[in-house]
Amino acid sequence: MTSVATHEGALSLRGLTKRFAAFAAVDGIDLEVRPGQLMALLGPSGCGKTTTLRMVAGLEQPTGGEICFGNSTFVSTADEIEVSTHRRNIGMVFQSYALWPHMTVFQNVAYPLSVRKVASAEIKRRVCAVLELMELGALIDKTIPQLSGGQQQRVALARALVYEPSLMLFDEPFSNLDVHLRAQMRMELKRLRRKVTMTGLFVTHDQAEALSVADSIAIMHGGRIQQVGAPQDIYKRPATKFVRDFLGRVLSLHGSYDAAGGEARVRLADGTMLSCDAPESNPGSRVEVSIRPEFVKFYEDGEPARANTVTGTIEELLFTGDRFETRLHLGGEHVFTELPAGRPWHEGDAIRLELPMAALSVWPDK
Amino acid sequence: METQRLLFAIVLLTTAFLVLLPVVLLISYSFVESLPGQPLNLGFDAWRHAVESPLIMGSLVNSVLLLLSTHSISLPVAVVIAWVLARTDLPFRNGFEFMFWISFFMPTLSILMGWILCLDPEYGLLNKLFELLPFVDKGPFNIFSFWGIVWGHLATHAITIKVMLLTPIFRNIDSSFEEASAICGANRVTTLIRVMVPAVTPAILAITLIAMIRAMQSFEIEMVLGSPIRLYVYSTLVYSLIEQEPPDFGAASALATIGLGCLLPLIFAQRWVGLRRQYVSVSGRMKSASVRLGPWRTPVFLAICTVVLILTVIPIVFLGLTSTMKLFGFFNIPEPWTWGHWATVFADESFRQSVINTLQMSAGAALVAIVLLSLIAYFSVRSSFKGRSLLDFVSWLPAAVPGVLFSLGLLYAFLEIPLFRPLYGSMALMIIAAVMGSMTLGTQIFKSAMLQLSRDIEEASAVSGATWLRTFRSVVLPIVVPTVLLVGITIFITAAREIASVSLVATGGTKTLSLLQLDYMVQGRYGPAAVISFIVILMSTGLALAARALGLRIGLKN
Repeated sequence: MTSVATHEGALSLRGLTKRFAAFAAVDGIDLEVRPGQLMALLGPSGCGKTTTLRMVAGLEQPTGGEICFGNSTFVSTADEIEVSTHRRNIGMVFQSYALWPHMTVFQNVAYPLSVRKVASAEIKRRVCAVLELMELGALIDKTIPQLSGGQQQRVALARALVYEPSLMLFDEPFSNLDVHLRAQMRMELKRLRRKVTMTGLFVTHDQAEALSVADSIAIMHGGRIQQVGAPQDIYKRPATKFVRDFLGRVLSLHGSYDAAGGEARVRLADGTMLSCDAPESNPGSRVEVSIRPEFVKFYEDGEPARANTVTGTIEELLFTGDRFETRLHLGGEHVFTELPAGRPWHEGDAIRLELPMAALSVWPDK
Repeated sequence: METQRLLFAIVLLTTAFLVLLPVVLLISYSFVESLPGQPLNLGFDAWRHAVESPLIMGSLVNSVLLLLSTHSISLPVAVVIAWVLARTDLPFRNGFEFMFWISFFMPTLSILMGWILCLDPEYGLLNKLFELLPFVDKGPFNIFSFWGIVWGHLATHAITIKVMLLTPIFRNIDSSFEEASAICGANRVTTLIRVMVPAVTPAILAITLIAMIRAMQSFEIEMVLGSPIRLYVYSTLVYSLIEQEPPDFGAASALATIGLGCLLPLIFAQRWVGLRRQYVSVSGRMKSASVRLGPWRTPVFLAICTVVLILTVIPIVFLGLTSTMKLFGFFNIPEPWTWGHWATVFADESFRQSVINTLQMSAGAALVAIVLLSLIAYFSVRSSFKGRSLLDFVSWLPAAVPGVLFSLGLLYAFLEIPLFRPLYGSMALMIIAAVMGSMTLGTQIFKSAMLQLSRDIEEASAVSGATWLRTFRSVVLPIVVPTVLLVGITIFITAAREIASVSLVATGGTKTLSLLQLDYMVQGRYGPAAVISFIVILMSTGLALAARALGLRIGLKN
């Protein structure tokens, strides 16, 4: 099996800015991607993630800042350096795949090599190797319209890998696939990364995709980076409310900060006290305590009460298959959340929940 | 980036020079009082003359009256036909649409020739038919008249173009518009008038403006039918002012400038409406169920059959008949049939020369157009250079400037600028004129092909390491190959039948087939004219079918 060579070199963006008239699509971001690391740029549409990726590719010109890779500077507005896209030696998988319809699978994948004037025997060997790697060997002479979406996706990946680029860029590569194929392609990318070392940037608006494929995630919002970190850390310990809400569902309750007895606690509307790992705050200030629904614990009938327990009633229940969508009256307020399927929940039932201290986060409430 | 910038500069300068120079010269010549060769003397003589001359003002009035008459008949007819073709279960509707498409490529002069043979006041076959009736002394038709000219427009392009532009628009309207109207209790005619027509009003407005611009450019029909009765429109008057002895350049230029002035507001209005065309109530769903015609099927079918026959088959049949008749219109002489006209034409040295000229000019124009127009289209669609909008405007100007005026401007440029004078009377000049004549259509076809080409396709090539030239050569051009062939054929056809824009730059040695045809018609030599008309029709139709096979769908994209 050919192994794509490891290319030493970190990607760094410094003060990268892209302005369209008065609007800053990308607003002075700094980001480091270590060699061999796959960094996801995650955010809602319009957050500037695709613009950032296209600036790394050289398809858009920044209005400020610089992009360096290894020892070379791709672009720097201060030094007026700009390396053309075709000289950056990068690989890119487009959202639309951008396969050329007038060429066969082989010709598409061979193109980057032929542009680099590689000898034709060598081209054949390397194209066959990468198609084998992508399990596309049987499709080598097919034309692009004859392929399914998933196959086109793999050809696009093969075309980006074949010349062993030093840096891989993915622009929402799986978003045109259906749910099943998308899961399959994520597995495939993971398998591929065991065989091929790649440094890369992966743009997506799908948090599950970012969490599952990337080594590190940078969450963008309004042209700025909100938080950078490993998937598990960032999921459990979001730095901002935006990150918290974007990465998954939360159950949030409102109350006031109470530091009596040296222990940080939050008093809910119905008087329940919740212990939590809260940063110092003024006693009495309004706060919001949040927890991801999967960390909530439910009481069996007749179990004795434990710490951090809130009580309430089930007001509405909607069965959605793998869970119930519900509205609870909990801790003295109305909240929307979810309950696991597999228990006989009923509207009007009383309910007791334990919110473990380790899973709670506390936020100032405006 | 550098190669691209250099090429852009070359394309922009060449195009701007070829398009703008004739227009500028045209306008400036209206202020020159001295004759060519004399010391320069500027003044307003030509303008004073133009404003005072009843002939010149009359020609403008004629242009407007003809436009109004033609349009007020052809628009309602075209709206109904387009709706029937697009929205009903009319039998053979695809076949009818195809016939309109064929009609679009029919050379105007040839079809007109066919109708002259039917409607000539003395010999016209329809008149003869009427004279067979008792109590009728003289046939009622005379094509050499105001209404004859209107008929000439209706029977050639006036209806066809509107049907081709309107049909796809009607087809794309969501049928829930119609269904909702029916549920509210409206019948089909009410629905067509109150719902469908208003829904396409912006498009109809745009088409009306296009029709008005075209009417200001129309030349051949008025030339052939109007000149004998001294009914001039402004384009034919410009032509005759130049062709008379001695030519009156000042008056021609003044008249041309007035014409351009009348066109300007139309042009801006058309651009404005064109830009807002997105507003047409076309939904993305494109659900369009067909309306059942029921008992109306047969009458509607027959009516559209008649229109199609008038546009295509009838004139061609008469051309065929005339080209093989000894004495056109006389069936009762002994042995009325002859191949004599064909023999005469084929033996004629000027015919052979003009066939060669036509092939050279059309092939040359097609080649030049492919290179120049594909680059113009690429730069206006894809690049972000500063001069891009100027290039776009310039490529589109020839559609707005009447062909005869362009021809006149080119004539000035190549007679007056010593550097270019050797080109006067050469094939190169004819090719330039022909490319100008079809620049807008060709660029438009290239542009729509390149707009469909997603930007990713090129970016993927750059990411793969290819330079801009390599990308243009290996990715862009191969993908648009069908379009290249298509533009080539289209330009070939339009160049071959072009009259107006080459009329004043052609000399004896560079006369094309259609100009020869015009000569014969103006001289009243109907036999040879019919033969040439027939040949031109065969050539255009054959090439049009080839273009169809390559996927040309004019009207779908515009």
